[in-house]
Amino acid sequence: MHMRMRSIFAATLAAMLASSAPAQAQPPQPELDTITRNIDEVFRSSGTIGRMEITMVTPRQTRTMRVRSWARGQDRSLIVIESPARDAGTATLRVDHNLWNYLPRISRTIRVPPSMMQSSWMGSDLTNDDLTQSTSYRRDFDGSVVGRSESPVGWLVRYDAHEGVVGLWRRIEMVVNDQGTLPVESRYFDRRMRLARVMRFEDVREMDGRAIPTRMVVEPEDQEGHRTEMRYVSVDFDADVPESTFSLTELERGR
Amino acid sequence: MIGTTTRIAWRNLGRSRRRTMIALAAIGIAQTAVLAVTGMMNGRNDWTVDAVTGPMLGHVQVHAPGWREDQAPDLVIEDVEARLAAIRGLEGVGQAYARIYAPALAASDVDGHAVVMVGVDAQLEAAPGGLLDGLPEAGLPHDRSVLVGSVLARDAGIAVGDELAILGQRADGSLATDLFTVSGLLRTPVDLINRTGVVVSLAAAQDTFGMPDMAHEITIRGAGSGAGDAAPALAARIAALPRLAGLEVLPWRVLAPEIEGMLASSSAVGSVVLLVVFIAAAAGVANTMLMATFERRRELGMMLSLGTTPMRLVRMILTEAVFLGLLGVLTGSVCGGPIVLMQGHTGISLLAGAEEGADLTAFGVNFAGSIYPYLRLSDYVPGFIGVTIVSILAALWPAIFTARLEPVEAMRS
Repeated sequence: MHMRMRSIFAATLAAMLASSAPAQAQPPQPELDTITRNIDEVFRSSGTIGRMEITMVTPRQTRTMRVRSWARGQDRSLIVIESPARDAGTATLRVDHNLWNYLPRISRTIRVPPSMMQSSWMGSDLTNDDLTQSTSYRRDFDGSVVGRSESPVGWLVRYDAHEGVVGLWRRIEMVVNDQGTLPVESRYFDRRMRLARVMRFEDVREMDGRAIPTRMVVEPEDQEGHRTEMRYVSVDFDADVPESTFSLTELERGR
Repeated sequence: MIGTTTRIAWRNLGRSRRRTMIALAAIGIAQTAVLAVTGMMNGRNDWTVDAVTGPMLGHVQVHAPGWREDQAPDLVIEDVEARLAAIRGLEGVGQAYARIYAPALAASDVDGHAVVMVGVDAQLEAAPGGLLDGLPEAGLPHDRSVLVGSVLARDAGIAVGDELAILGQRADGSLATDLFTVSGLLRTPVDLINRTGVVVSLAAAQDTFGMPDMAHEITIRGAGSGAGDAAPALAARIAALPRLAGLEVLPWRVLAPEIEGMLASSSAVGSVVLLVVFIAAAAGVANTMLMATFERRRELGMMLSLGTTPMRLVRMILTEAVFLGLLGVLTGSVCGGPIVLMQGHTGISLLAGAEEGADLTAFGVNFAGSIYPYLRLSDYVPGFIGVTIVSILAALWPAIFTARLEPVEAMRS
């Protein structure tokens, strides 16, 4: 008796949901290749100069850094800490898959070893690997558009690492906006398929003629109360950034 | 009355000397084996406890709550000097020292390597049991000089005299950068230190990592030889200090639970050997007593017909069996005791047959060196008690068989 009541109720509910679905005009599903390309290109330009504020939150302290960044193409970037004063001038240079830290207080440059690519960058919840962006959706992952995502709203795209690719992530789930042009949320699954961290792309605004998420929040799953926020203060796309910016001599000369 | 029965039982042992000797040998060899194994286990357990609680763990450790899980640089113990003073004032505390553990990127040239900067009170830790045990005064880290773990130095190509650049995190989260001079290489029984450790003076670590009068850990070594076993009680007394309110105080067994498993497994081995001994003793006693009673049927029948109660015969046979068993255990103890004493004197190398200088690492402890077997008085006891019980059980059947003898029948046979 109860069972039957319940199944009738369920059927009615399902019918109601089904009939209400077409009312919300569903946007056309974008192609995977288009999405992947769009995601790759969000912040990329021939030369990008930006200012960011990075806030690192732990259960006991909150710390804010201001950095300036220069990037060129896909594999050259330089980040210099401007404040706090104590750390000012500390710089991270990335060329291809190599990462160097310049430490002005002792005038020394240290290359980050491959074994520390998964370690924290400057005490934040970002890894050194995030900076080198050695994760390539196109090269190392099989992508597929799974379908609609309810929370957050958008298209769910799943990237599964190729068999045999040695990397940090086994799967990355990404929710992109309805048009498939901007990322909304990324969920990173480790080798054992455990959700390791969530990155949210928020506060989409136009900067230098492009609509970009101006705030990114990273929350590691295994460390409660930890969070890193990156906020674009300003950004200049297609700026003139000479190749010489990304050299060790330039790194050590200071700015 | 009992006197005569006992005397007869004792004399009976001498009637077939060869058989008695064989039974004694079986039980004796078994007891010797028990003592040898027990001695070795004792030596190994002590060695394990020493190695584990030795340079790194100590007997009791103090941390800020949560540090052991996260090792977050900002989970510090503040007012460390005052707290150390309070701990040192307690009875039963041998040594107490503060340490700092700071993961860092270190480079002697441009290539960085993952290291753990370990800030230690060099003077105190140079004493026996400390991390720098045995280092001469001149070899200790001081000011801007550091000692680098031997394996790390080899892998990273760091040599004595090199300048080492350090990038880490200060307790407040900001960047810690510093330069040190490598004054020596360090080879300790602690694998972690050999592989990733850069040992620096506590004062320098406090300065570099922004931790004035702070540390991540207080390591306490108990005074005296029973300190390993006394650790839980010591931990409780330290935790009760008002100065240490809010901190986590734990004895080494809680800090290194995997060692507990190791110790338990060795006591299981001891139990198996003991079981084998009891079976050997039972077989020896049962065989001897069966033969003896069977041989003496006529005589036993005579005793019964002369008015000896069956109960007295049972007592006699059981007494004989117990004598045999105890004599065997005694023989074994007289042989086994000196053997273990001798082993304890020369020691047993854990790396016998292995190359000189080979490393054997388990649970993060470098298992080199020798163990020194020894016996406590109490280690002799299980053999005596066990064999007595087993002898009685083994002789029960021949004894009951005897008690049921029909005197006339028995004498005729």
